[in-house]
Amino acid sequence: MKFESFSGEAKKVKFRGGYNILLKGKPEGAVKVMPEPKVLYLPLRSERFTFSEVLVKDGDRVNGGDALARDPDNHDVPLLTPRAGTVRLKALENHIVLEDVAHRDEHADIAEEEMSHIAQEMGAGGIKRYKLLSLGAWQFFYDAFTGALPDPLGTPQAIIISTLSLEPFVTRGDVLLHKRLLNFTRGLEHLQSLLEYQPIYLAMPDVSSEFANLVRNQIRGYAWAKMLEVPLTYPYDNFAILARRLELRRDKGPIWGVRTEGVLAVDRALTMTKPCTVRIVSVGGMGVNGPAHLKVVPGYPIERIREKYVFEPAARVINGGVLTGRAFTAEDVGIDAECRGITVLPELREREFLGFIRPGWSRSSYSDCFLSSMRKRFAERLTTGMRGEERPCVACNFCEEVCPAGIMPYLVHKYLYADLIEEAEQARVDLCVECGLCSYVCPSKIDVRKQLIEAKVLIEKEKEEIRQEQLRQEEARKQAEEKTE
Amino acid sequence: MKWLLKVIDAVRPNFEEGGKLRLLNPVFEALEHVFFAPGTTTLEAPHVRDPIDLKRFMSMAIISVVPTVLAAFYFFGLRFVAMIIVSYAAGLTVEALFAIVRKEGINEGFFVTGILFPLILPPSMPLWMVALGVAFGVFIGKELFGGTGRNVFNPALVGRCFLSLAYPKTMAKSWVEPSDYLAGALTDWVGPSLDAVSGATPLALAKQGEMGAVSHLFLGSVPGSAGETSAVLILLGGVFLLFTRVASWRTVVSILGSFIVLTGALVAGGAVSYPMAGVFGPVMWHVFAGGLLFGVFFMATDPVTSPTTNAGKWLYGIVIGSTTVLIRNFTGYVEGVTFAILLGNIVAPIFDEIVIGIRIRRLRSEG
Repeated sequence: MKFESFSGEAKKVKFRGGYNILLKGKPEGAVKVMPEPKVLYLPLRSERFTFSEVLVKDGDRVNGGDALARDPDNHDVPLLTPRAGTVRLKALENHIVLEDVAHRDEHADIAEEEMSHIAQEMGAGGIKRYKLLSLGAWQFFYDAFTGALPDPLGTPQAIIISTLSLEPFVTRGDVLLHKRLLNFTRGLEHLQSLLEYQPIYLAMPDVSSEFANLVRNQIRGYAWAKMLEVPLTYPYDNFAILARRLELRRDKGPIWGVRTEGVLAVDRALTMTKPCTVRIVSVGGMGVNGPAHLKVVPGYPIERIREKYVFEPAARVINGGVLTGRAFTAEDVGIDAECRGITVLPELREREFLGFIRPGWSRSSYSDCFLSSMRKRFAERLTTGMRGEERPCVACNFCEEVCPAGIMPYLVHKYLYADLIEEAEQARVDLCVECGLCSYVCPSKIDVRKQLIEAKVLIEKEKEEIRQEQLRQEEARKQAEEKTE
Repeated sequence: MKWLLKVIDAVRPNFEEGGKLRLLNPVFEALEHVFFAPGTTTLEAPHVRDPIDLKRFMSMAIISVVPTVLAAFYFFGLRFVAMIIVSYAAGLTVEALFAIVRKEGINEGFFVTGILFPLILPPSMPLWMVALGVAFGVFIGKELFGGTGRNVFNPALVGRCFLSLAYPKTMAKSWVEPSDYLAGALTDWVGPSLDAVSGATPLALAKQGEMGAVSHLFLGSVPGSAGETSAVLILLGGVFLLFTRVASWRTVVSILGSFIVLTGALVAGGAVSYPMAGVFGPVMWHVFAGGLLFGVFFMATDPVTSPTTNAGKWLYGIVIGSTTVLIRNFTGYVEGVTFAILLGNIVAPIFDEIVIGIRIRRLRSEG
């Protein structure tokens, strides 16, 4: 390819499947600052983390950057307080409430003793990793294949950085990067310093764009960075898909996936030694007044955002995008530490009269069964409606066509129906990235995504049982041997 | 239309659990959903869904046969209306009974079978036979296998196959002379029966060494099953069906391709001889004659009974195309499309199994 001058060759990759759902209410590029809150509600649970180990006591005064709790199952990743305030532990279930919130200078919650200890044990690299973890940057790292938090002390076979966010609607990479190009390239250098010779792949929508050229000029001469052009089709920004398309294999070690916000967090933690507590969260969807990007801190009351942006009285407010997000419930009071966007969908209210025989000029569909297939694709006003009755699978093959992972969702559906778990495993349901497209396109309205996830869980469980059984047998054998001795 | 929704909401309790008519719930629901799209919403991710549903999907198939239905009126008379009504009434009864027993909704798939079935019958078929055939097709061909989506055979073809084996004489007597007036047979109840001595369908005549003009086959002014005669209108509906992607172009191309290649090879190699000169002429004549085009576009492309995998569709098409040629040329039957597609239905799951096996073997080494 033509842009190879600066650093190794850019990899050419081929994708399969994928589909863009065009939805009205795309958030604008401008970042708006929300007014300072008086009370923060920091959830103890987010998508990946459960901060079960609380480090503060009721009534404690904390400063911005202090660790409030940590997740012992995820390498002790901390929950940092973004602001100073008074801790209330019992005010709200599953939340740490912070009262009398004040915006003062944040500081890094790092123990000097520990730092020198780590410096002696592990050198400069160890300090960097310790800083990333304790300053809240590490939570922006993903294991490309599992989506889990990677081991901060491990060394990956490669890092994949993606500036794309293709799901409607999550925070866009270009919004985050606005005027922060230097921070971004500095973050890249920091990331590289964690590696030995392993490559960093930089996934971008257009490797010949102005922005890509700027990045290229900045990182000119860095042989470790490889640019990767990724078409703007959902979900090609998924780390597992990218890793597979790059032909990186799971058995050759972990791969770290980092998005734009992660690279910027790395820069903040390692260049300035400051905690990463501010998030830029998109607010988009049909039920939103002036969709935009908001600068908020974790714990920010969702109600305040609702009041200001959501005008639909009956709307579903989703934490994340419309295809993979989870609807906020009454128990979710504050923005969690991993929130990447808020999507608002109006609930279905009116049942359409003779809907299925209308020409469908204004109805955007994956199939070509509507008149709209004769016009250019357009954004549609979508609700939470199922838009049809659940029916048996008619083998239309749509799910396989859109599947970015190259598996056959209908086949797994049939295997599950017949209780054939082993066959489902053979059909590689583990490659599923849970993008949700199969459920979206299904004319029979089968919740394929849910079934695939269930199959994965079942298989994991069975494997675990087998492992336990083997351990037990091993132990029994050892005991028997000891006896004979 | 608020008033209608109010009426529906008012009578609904009768059909729900505990209501007097709860057994008829599938029938009520089917009617309700014809008028009003269901009010169900998504429960979890993905929170939005594509507007395509099975109703829409199947409507496309029904729209695509509208030209051939009109052609049936034009060539063979208005009695065809009665055949459609009987077909729907009888088939729907079976479908509804099974829906009630299974406590599931009535599936839209039947509405396609109900219109396709009379189209593949001789135009003056006794109405009780239409009813029997469609009931047999739906019951044996679909419901016994578990209903829409689980059937192995195309129900309409099973019904026709049954009738042609059970009542061969009546079938042969039910062909109708196509109208050659400008107004067609639109003023008639049913056109005149074929002359028992000299009249026959084009394929039957060809067996006796007499081939009619291709232009008649193309327009449809020849005797034959109600919907199969007019090639041009079938192509019109077929292209529409391909355009909506309800029918797979792979199936269509592979059937027609293998049919043309094999017929061409047989004619060119001298294995069969026709009164028509050259290779191209007889091949085109065979493509337009009989039920081939109708079967290709509307029967073989049924997503349920054809293979799911794309590679499977190619193999399936080749089996159907070449079997049709073999039956037409080397057996006592004049027409082979019905049997060829049913044979294709049998092998479709096997092809799928093979293709899926290969794909799974390839997937094994992934990631």
